[in-house]
Amino acid sequence: MSKLGVYDVAVRYGKVPALSDVSFSVEEGERVFISGPNGAGKSSLLKAICGAVPTSHGRIEVDGDVLNGRSPEAIARLGLTMVPEGREIFGTLTVEENLRVGTGIRRDKSAIETDIDEVYQNFSILGERRHANAGALSGGQQQMLAIGRGLMTNPKLMLVDEPSLGLAPNIVDQVYETLVNLQKDRGLTLIIVEQSSARAARVGGRMVLLRGGNVVGDGDAAKFAESDLLKEAYFGQDKSEVPS
Amino acid sequence: MNAIPQLFFDAMSLGGIYAMAALGIALIFGVMKLVNFAHGEYIAFCVFALIVPSTDAVAVMFLGKAPAFVLIPTLLCVGALVAVGSEFFVFRHMRKATPVAMMISSFALGFVIQNTLLLIYSSRPKAISLWPELNMPIDLIGASIPLLQIIVILTTLIVVVTLALLLKKTRIGLEMRAAAENFTMARLLGVRANVVITGAFALSGALAAAVALIMVTQTGVADVRMGGQIMLVAFIATVIGGLGSLPGAVAAGFLIGAASVILQGFLPLEARPFRDAFLYTLVIVSLLLRPDGLFASNSTKPRV
Repeated sequence: MSKLGVYDVAVRYGKVPALSDVSFSVEEGERVFISGPNGAGKSSLLKAICGAVPTSHGRIEVDGDVLNGRSPEAIARLGLTMVPEGREIFGTLTVEENLRVGTGIRRDKSAIETDIDEVYQNFSILGERRHANAGALSGGQQQMLAIGRGLMTNPKLMLVDEPSLGLAPNIVDQVYETLVNLQKDRGLTLIIVEQSSARAARVGGRMVLLRGGNVVGDGDAAKFAESDLLKEAYFGQDKSEVPS
Repeated sequence: MNAIPQLFFDAMSLGGIYAMAALGIALIFGVMKLVNFAHGEYIAFCVFALIVPSTDAVAVMFLGKAPAFVLIPTLLCVGALVAVGSEFFVFRHMRKATPVAMMISSFALGFVIQNTLLLIYSSRPKAISLWPELNMPIDLIGASIPLLQIIVILTTLIVVVTLALLLKKTRIGLEMRAAAENFTMARLLGVRANVVITGAFALSGALAAAVALIMVTQTGVADVRMGGQIMLVAFIATVIGGLGSLPGAVAAGFLIGAASVILQGFLPLEARPFRDAFLYTLVIVSLLLRPDGLFASNSTKPRV
């Protein structure tokens, strides 16, 4: 059984289709990049998986449990967490309060304190500023906090939407280094929306390529970076349109 | 008689009532973006829960007969139940509706509660004598202050401090603050929408009951329309305070109370009947200067 199964999923906003017939599956411990041009449906796909937008067709499963029709809070209880685009940290709460919001669903209450310490070890700046309002953190620090906050739900599957958005390149390197290490340490399954296929190729993993709401490619990210498929996805199928 | 302490106590006790009513509205607005205009009717409902249902002109005490240590918690529960019930039967079905549609339905709910009270108790205002001994004046720093005013001020302080502790120190408080800032994100982290919203309504209803107790002790009257005036002032306080800001609602409640008392005390005699016109002019000026409210938070926007 796959960790995550997406079968013929469609999402529409009113009459506007955002995703149609999207299918793919992710095995436990895998790292999968969702890539594609603007408007390909990457964020919609992640939102559909975590229950933030309803699907109009198809089925999504985590460990064989069907997610369709469940509330976001019920889906979070299945060990799935979302690090959304733009971080969406709680700016009026302190750093530590942000970390604690997601701990309500945990049964292992005794492990919460050690997990918070672990987040502070991984992200020392968060430990130093634990009592500061999260809104006062820099963009990179907020991204770290959003990841740490997601980890505090003790997830098995983590969805990360555009972690590099609005961050300086060296900060993006740090974010990815952290994500890769966390995955190693915790055996997380990671699904990351990343617009830059070069970045995905460098970090390494599998890549699912979306275009116009459809899956147009699925394979090793490094191999994708060299293939024409990527150009097609971004610039259209007629290769003559691609500037050489 | 010393006028200044007198004014101070008047201002603080009136402001305290406004602050508690405003808190009830701000709490629900915070988590649901709903301006609950039925809040005034929760207050009226709690007042009428004190007396035996009948259309007679003379009120017979019902819950009001109970000793204070039974009466107060029971009435707080009545308020909480009415509020939670209205969420369950009305607002829960409107979660995906626009804020305007929810606001209109809160008006409708208010009319339903008010007319139900009319049907059961008739439209005649009834005299209720609850704890009349509290209106006995006591001498304090040269002023003659009704004991009730001191109790109102203390009650407000206790309510505000308790609420602040609840929001700051408890799990449900943390979830409410997170949900007030970003409901979807809170839910993605497993915060149950129904628990948070029910909690906010329960607190709001209990606050309405507290206001009801104070009003009825102060005025000695039960009137089905008594919620309207306080609801208006409380709503204005939440707007001036910055919609959704709890400290803002409290501060603005006290400000309006103080302004009202000061105008009453210092306006020329012939202008006093028009006190409210002056008061609401101040409200307009305040909104012109600070359209987002005096205490609008600007720290909620994420930095990029």
